Amino acid sequence: MFEWVGGGPTDPKQIGTPFCGGCHPGGGGLEFDRDGKRYDQRLKAEPSLAQAFDGDYFKSRWDKSGVVEADCLLCHLPGYNFPERNKQLKMYNFKWASTAASGIGQVSGFVKDNQEPVVRYNKRLFNDDGKIVLELAYPPPSENCNFCHGISDSKKRGFSWNDRRNHDVHNARGMSCADCHPAIDNPALKITKIQHQFAKGDENVSSVRDDLDNTIMTCRDCHSQGYMGAPRPAHLGVRPNHLQKLACETCHIPTLHIAGGEGFDVTTGAMVNYPVFNLQDLKNSPKRIGDYFDWHPRYQRIKRGQLAPVNALLAVFFTNLDKDGIHYPLFGRENKKAYDKIKDKLQPKNPMKPELHTPEQIKLMLTALSETLQGNKRFQQIKPYYHKGGKHYHLNEKGEVVVEDDHTYAGHVEGFNINHNVAPAALALGANGCGDCHSSEAHMFKGQIVTDMFGPPDGKPLTISSGRLFGCQPWVFYLNQFHQLYLSPYANILMLLVVFGLVLHYTGQGPKVADYYKSPPEIVWFPLSERWTHLFRMVSFLILAFTGYIFFFNNITLLRLSFGTPQTAVVVHWVAGLIFIAASIASVALWGKYARFAPYDKEWLAKKGGYIGGQEVKVPAGRLNAGQKIFFWLTGILTLITGVTGVLLIFKESLPLSLSCLTSTIHGFFAVIFVASVIAHAYLGTIANPGTWQVLVHGKVSRNWAKKHHSEWYKEYEQQEQAQKPAQE
Amino acid sequence: MERQHVPRLAALLLLGLGLLLLVSVAMARERACIPFHLKTEDGKIINPLTGENADQPYSPRQTCGACHNYDEITKGYHFQQGWDRISDDFGKKMNKPWVLSDGMLGKF
Repeated sequence: MFEWVGGGPTDPKQIGTPFCGGCHPGGGGLEFDRDGKRYDQRLKAEPSLAQAFDGDYFKSRWDKSGVVEADCLLCHLPGYNFPERNKQLKMYNFKWASTAASGIGQVSGFVKDNQEPVVRYNKRLFNDDGKIVLELAYPPPSENCNFCHGISDSKKRGFSWNDRRNHDVHNARGMSCADCHPAIDNPALKITKIQHQFAKGDENVSSVRDDLDNTIMTCRDCHSQGYMGAPRPAHLGVRPNHLQKLACETCHIPTLHIAGGEGFDVTTGAMVNYPVFNLQDLKNSPKRIGDYFDWHPRYQRIKRGQLAPVNALLAVFFTNLDKDGIHYPLFGRENKKAYDKIKDKLQPKNPMKPELHTPEQIKLMLTALSETLQGNKRFQQIKPYYHKGGKHYHLNEKGEVVVEDDHTYAGHVEGFNINHNVAPAALALGANGCGDCHSSEAHMFKGQIVTDMFGPPDGKPLTISSGRLFGCQPWVFYLNQFHQLYLSPYANILMLLVVFGLVLHYTGQGPKVADYYKSPPEIVWFPLSERWTHLFRMVSFLILAFTGYIFFFNNITLLRLSFGTPQTAVVVHWVAGLIFIAASIASVALWGKYARFAPYDKEWLAKKGGYIGGQEVKVPAGRLNAGQKIFFWLTGILTLITGVTGVLLIFKESLPLSLSCLTSTIHGFFAVIFVASVIAHAYLGTIANPGTWQVLVHGKVSRNWAKKHHSEWYKEYEQQEQAQKPAQE
Repeated sequence: MERQHVPRLAALLLLGLGLLLLVSVAMARERACIPFHLKTEDGKIINPLTGENADQPYSPRQTCGACHNYDEITKGYHFQQGWDRISDDFGKKMNKPWVLSDGMLGKF
């Protein structure tokens, strides 16, 4: 423990960050041992502990260095000198660190150099009575939080604060860390302000006091209430399911502008960090974490079930599988011992970055570990494993490398949440339309995510598409692409072509003029039940087509004008859909028997119903002509397809992503065909056959009209009429 | 202006000023601490002007703890970072190696 407090590489020019002290404000484990006793007092009382095999005291000099008490000024003193604190800790001046870093006094002499440090206080800070006057800040300024979080969170998630390049809208509006992460004061949790438990979110990976997760106000909390003047966006342009399925951060943190960590490798014994890769040009990848570099996050389903941006930080490391079946990570010094043994054989381009990836390299290292770990008191069995890119490698009895999928905790990749560096709304995904995510090259689905930093066979990164990573199968992606690239853009063109074709027909062929107006309508062709069924079917279809058009093209203007909110439009679409299905079932019951094909339909079809050719020809037809029968069965099938998919889509939130996407595309595709068919049907029922539409009102047709359009049915009608006459007479 | 309106206006003015004062007090940045004595880890006062214990570093526990509950404050997770949960058999409870124990003591 002693060495860890101020440990780490020592560079005389740049002191660097000590291991524990680099992000630990003191108190807790830096003040008290595992038995709750102060290190310095206990070691003074029991000097032999420094020789004992006890991790808290072995080779320690707590009695000289003192302990690191909680440094209140680290957080509460603006202008605190954090590098000076690091320097003091690295030189084992634990109890002098706060005095020096706060600027209260100068400290000369270092315990590490076997000196007794001396303090010289800055007398200008003291009143005549010897009391110090400090301008302390409550709550702490963000700059002080950044001392620790700036370093660690840059690596974890490309986080920065007070950085105009890697901006954050909240930061830009003057908010501080404590505005969102105040000290919890919640009687229900039995936590008071003085306890310094700070409100936190729901970090995936970190496990510090997970019981306090979600004590922070969420995006929704502030942006629905207008807390601190937060804007209250209606998100009317966003599909409701997107608001449910996606975390706010997914759209609002589309890009990070400083390099986070792609991963780390501890093969050499040191933790070697790799900044995120520039996959377009690997050689021009950022050199260090924190360098300016634009990159996009990966996406992962987080605890609350939403898709959220994360950074995985891939770990490349070694474990030993002990007799108890647990993989114990090897210490840096254990790795180093083995690596030093084979370094010359490996001859890596960069000795600090061996990037083991070939079976030969891996075999060398695993063999070296098998030898150097012999006699290691930590283990009862020596069986080293190399963990990398979701695989683990170990040696079999013949000494050959075996590669397997890594199902241990080491192979479980979970990303660090990305929830700072929120972009202005104009830069959010979707601000430029659906294409921000659904275009063929958009990062959301097609962006490449690194899964193995040094993959076989050449040590270059292995990647997978972003969409695939969060569960979107390639075929679903291409289906979605069909929807986005072809179906949506060309649906309008199809409709225009249909209308154009009908115009051509009308101008070329002209209407089928029946002597409708000269002879009164006296024969009932559609009784009331059929007229009502048709009416319900027609009106519900019009509503479906209208709302469907809004959804299909995401026409927000029309949606707001017509329905106000997307939810209303969705419910209207559902209700109209269910009515349409019911009316369609009724129509099958009413017209099914008349829609059976008869022999004379062949002639109707051969003569194309008399609709093409420029001359009027007589065509036989029953109560429904062959064209109407085809339309009837076609719409029946289309109703079945769109009905089944539509009902499934009502429960879209419960469907797997692939099924939901498939269902949605099928629904949209056949709905377009349906609308095109109905446009043709409407044309034939109105201007192509004048007088026909009036049947929908009173249900009657004239004898001339019936004779002309439905000759076979009219014959039957006449026969029935004749048969009834004698009875009446 | 009619004379009977004067007291009302004066009252309104006073009320407005009072509200302004309240707002300004509420908005003012809280000054965290009044001048205080630095103390050594033994609790002795450090007075650089008289040279009293002026060669000793100040102790946050003794200095800040004189007014604030240091022990309560340092129970916060920023100070413990999992230290209050770790134990020698922690790994057995988690079925993971102890170096992957809770908080910052092994895990990230």
